[in-house]
Amino acid sequence: MKLLATCSVLVVIGMFLFLVNESKMLSYMSSDPEVCITCHTMNTHYATWQHSSHRSRATCVDCHLPRDSFINKMLAKARDGYNHSVAMTFKTYGYNLRITDDAATRIQDNCISCHEGIVGQMLENAKLYSKTESHVQMGRKCWECHRGVPHGITRNLTTTQTNLVLE
Amino acid sequence: MKRSTIITILCVLVMVPMLLLTVSIKENKAEQKTINATPQIDKLEPRSAEWGKYYPRQFDSYMATKKSDDIRDLLKENPALVVMWAGYGFSKDYNAPRGHYYILEDNLNTLRTGAPLNPQTGPMPTACWTCKSPDVPRLIDKMGENDFYTGKWARHGGEIVNPVGCADCHDNKTMKLTVTRDYLKRGLDSEGSKPFADASHQDMRTLVCVQCHSEYYFKETKWTDSNGKEQTAKVVTFPWNNGFAAEDIEQYYDERDFVDWTHKLSKTKMLKAQHPGYETFITGVHGKNGLACADCHMPYVREGGVKYSSHKVGSPLEDIANTCLNCHSGTEKEFIATVQRKLERKEELHKMAMDVLAKAHLEAAKAWELGATEEEMAPALKDIRHGQWRWEFSIAAHGSFFHAPEETLRVLGSAINKGHDARLKLRIILAKYNAADYEAPDFSSKEKAQAVIGLPFDKIVGEKNKFLKGLKEDWFKEGEKNGVHDPKSREGMVLKTSYPN
Repeated sequence: MKLLATCSVLVVIGMFLFLVNESKMLSYMSSDPEVCITCHTMNTHYATWQHSSHRSRATCVDCHLPRDSFINKMLAKARDGYNHSVAMTFKTYGYNLRITDDAATRIQDNCISCHEGIVGQMLENAKLYSKTESHVQMGRKCWECHRGVPHGITRNLTTTQTNLVLE
Repeated sequence: MKRSTIITILCVLVMVPMLLLTVSIKENKAEQKTINATPQIDKLEPRSAEWGKYYPRQFDSYMATKKSDDIRDLLKENPALVVMWAGYGFSKDYNAPRGHYYILEDNLNTLRTGAPLNPQTGPMPTACWTCKSPDVPRLIDKMGENDFYTGKWARHGGEIVNPVGCADCHDNKTMKLTVTRDYLKRGLDSEGSKPFADASHQDMRTLVCVQCHSEYYFKETKWTDSNGKEQTAKVVTFPWNNGFAAEDIEQYYDERDFVDWTHKLSKTKMLKAQHPGYETFITGVHGKNGLACADCHMPYVREGGVKYSSHKVGSPLEDIANTCLNCHSGTEKEFIATVQRKLERKEELHKMAMDVLAKAHLEAAKAWELGATEEEMAPALKDIRHGQWRWEFSIAAHGSFFHAPEETLRVLGSAINKGHDARLKLRIILAKYNAADYEAPDFSSKEKAQAVIGLPFDKIVGEKNKFLKGLKEDWFKEGEKNGVHDPKSREGMVLKTSYPN
């Protein structure tokens, strides 16, 4: 029985290592945009970003993860990672991905942090009006007007059928 | 329960979801492989329509370059060019470029490639095909670089029968961008600051174009063929050892005493700049900001719910919304006005330089006629050589006025200066031979200029027309017979030339 237990533990460790390797788990620690297209789901988002003017200024994580502290960044990454794994494994996502409220808040903060010079006065002015949401003055987000930034308005998962960067 | 039993049960409980996860990952990977799969296309397949079966949007947009079909006779617009290129093919025929669809057609039709009667005749070497067709990398792959670059242009007649297409820039297995002309890799490595091995995908979106849109020369290279016979190949080579700037390349040619041709009137040992698109682009603001050719010349466009890179390579001004406006704000009208003004500034100095240099050639011819010695003439001729090189370097890539306005105007300025230096020296020589008041003959129209340089235009045209109806037709038939030519690539082709046909 003891032998069986040892064997089982070894098998579990082996399987775990295999999974780490097979899912390229460790690569998710990196900030390289190509990591985000390990699964094909993000191909369109990668391709549209890669053809946009943001490509030379901001990578995926620069907009999509919080930048206030390392801990918050990693926590968000872990939370998103878990949600994505579940969606990927149980195929609970459709062809048109929509952002969560949590992620939208982060992105809005990141828009402002880079474009502060331009939107600083706008934010000051907006304070004079009523707040409808804790994070967003007037309840509007940047991309409600700037709709095509940076992924374009057409971003269905079947939109970019041919893209050269993808392996 | 025993501890070992508990451990075993726990392990099994963990194992089950892990196993399911492994299965799921495998499934996803298989799906990804299907999504990213590339079709089976033969290596260096020269017929673009074969690739187009799998990439219809890219192919259709490539075929739309057919719309850029105007013949603009630049010799007629700038007759000074005829004088400046006396004794060289360009004085016979020089048009503004048309769409990629016409690239092979225009190479066959231009008076510059002459009227060969068989594989051994004609004025040009095989190297003149280099940028015209995916049949070039196919032939180089088959026969080797040195063999390909040996002999007369007409030697590869029946083999080079498709216009520049998919196989020139794409790998057949992965569809990734690839450089099919090794001289580019050698050129980049010889310059050293951007070795080819370090090229990123974004770099490749420029480098595939740089294969052709660059300054080059034909380097004489000795080699021994399989019969042990010594041959001389004229290998396309990028002169970048000293750097990419006009002065660096000028120095490169001077160090090697390289001469493209001896000017018919002034006897100057001339340099002919081709189209240093890359060399000028990298000095401009868009190049410095990491843009690639494809960013503006192959915009990412939307067709229904699908996005793809347009392969209708042309002026970004035709689609400002999908090009300039990706990064800039402003209206289309403003953009066109800004670019127009840049063009006018270039044209102003460009015309000035052409006038000065053409007159310098004619004044040098007069000095020779009056008995000037080689020793007397040498300094002036050196100025003409450098002046004309710099003028052409700055404008020969037609987009330089936009890609790099500062560099273009700087080099044009130095060309005008060199031209005036030459004329000053020549005027002293003319005065010495009692012709201080010599005035160059009138070259204000293409016909007058061709008469001034003594070009037998009608004879050249007559011979060419025979070639167009004879050998040219035979070559396409031969290509079709050998299964390398796709007649669809020439469907609807109308013969258009600047000369009567």
